[in-house]
Amino acid sequence: MRRLFIPAILLFLCIGHASAGIFDSIQKGFDMMSTTSDATQKAARPISDEEEYYLGRAVAARILQTYPLMKEGKLTEYVNTVGTVLALHSEKPYTYGGYHFAILDSDEMNAFACPGGTIFITKGMLMSASTEDELAAILAHEIAHISHRDGISSIKKSRWTEATAIIGSKAAQNYGPQQLSQLTGIFEGSVDDIVKTLVVRGYGKTQEYDADKAALIYLSGSGYNPEALKDVLERMVSSGKGSEGGIMKTHPGTTDRIDNIRADIPRTSADPGPLGKRTGRFTALLH
Amino acid sequence: MKSTYRITASFFLLAAAAAASAETVTVITRENAVREDCRFLTPVKIKVSYGDQLDVTAREGDWFRVKFRNAKGCIHKNAVTERTAALSEASKKGYSTTSDEVALAGKGFNPEVEKSYKGKHPELDFNAVDGIEGYRVTDDSLKAFIKDGGLKQP
Repeated sequence: MRRLFIPAILLFLCIGHASAGIFDSIQKGFDMMSTTSDATQKAARPISDEEEYYLGRAVAARILQTYPLMKEGKLTEYVNTVGTVLALHSEKPYTYGGYHFAILDSDEMNAFACPGGTIFITKGMLMSASTEDELAAILAHEIAHISHRDGISSIKKSRWTEATAIIGSKAAQNYGPQQLSQLTGIFEGSVDDIVKTLVVRGYGKTQEYDADKAALIYLSGSGYNPEALKDVLERMVSSGKGSEGGIMKTHPGTTDRIDNIRADIPRTSADPGPLGKRTGRFTALLH
Repeated sequence: MKSTYRITASFFLLAAAAAASAETVTVITRENAVREDCRFLTPVKIKVSYGDQLDVTAREGDWFRVKFRNAKGCIHKNAVTERTAALSEASKKGYSTTSDEVALAGKGFNPEVEKSYKGKHPELDFNAVDGIEGYRVTDDSLKAFIKDGGLKQP
């Protein structure tokens, strides 16, 4: 039994954090190892959720320069509620600052997902939906862009590499004026990259197709009819609205998007009762 | 005598196992909540903020069962990280910190950088952005909306 007793004591001392001397030595060893590995990890550290949030706020402010905000309380509340339900069914239900939805006072058909969780939908896009389920389909697509961090991925890699070199240096525990100026410049460039992608260039085809497929999952998970995504896309094609700009400019061909999701639409049995209620509350507010 | 040794050894082994399994998670969202059950929209037991450290008692799917102050409940895995939020003791002593620790300690693109950016761009309306972020959907209105529309509880 003695043979068991002594190893038990030793095990306790090692794991129990009680022996500061032994533990400090072990800790110092790990710290020395981390000093070496830090240099190689700096460039690899991803942008944190908190950093994504600050970038997203600046992106939102930039978008609001071009598109005025529509201050319609009830409609904003409604869009926020639909969006929040979907976000809670996404693979990223929480972001650092949460999801927020706002309407832009523009007839252009468009929607923008700012990194971190703010989603804009234009009045024109909102009016293109004919049911709550279709509105949900539009918002689900934008939530997927946030969840997949598509905005963040549009930042030039060299910017973030440069930023991590400044952030990671010991001297930068508190930023000096020069470091702050450098970081602000990198921040500004990153915001430009994202705004260009959102407003001018658009995401890559793969990102758009993946966002559509994820939207189907969020919709069916929430109890919305996933067919609504196909319906709203088909209406965009048939109406020809927005073909001169807006979402048509920044997204792949709508017919291609429909083909991309057709096989993946989950089969659901839409209960006409709740569907009618949802359409009723949508129509009461929008039409 | 043998039984005394056996009891003592068992005690130390149990204590060692408990110490090894002790785990904390750190809140990485600006604010969140420990909820009564491991589901969204269940009653809030206590509100938590970025950097709060919660003691984990168990895992249940995408949720952690946690203790915080005097409250026990659940928090979603998406709202926490298993890393530490504060700069470690090592960094305070002048040793290097890991890059994750630096991010969690608020380095990088942070309010200081935003303030500097705002200074360069006074034309940008951050007040409007604050207004958008200030809009909240309450748990009660979400629950009612879900029920009324025949939607699924998350």
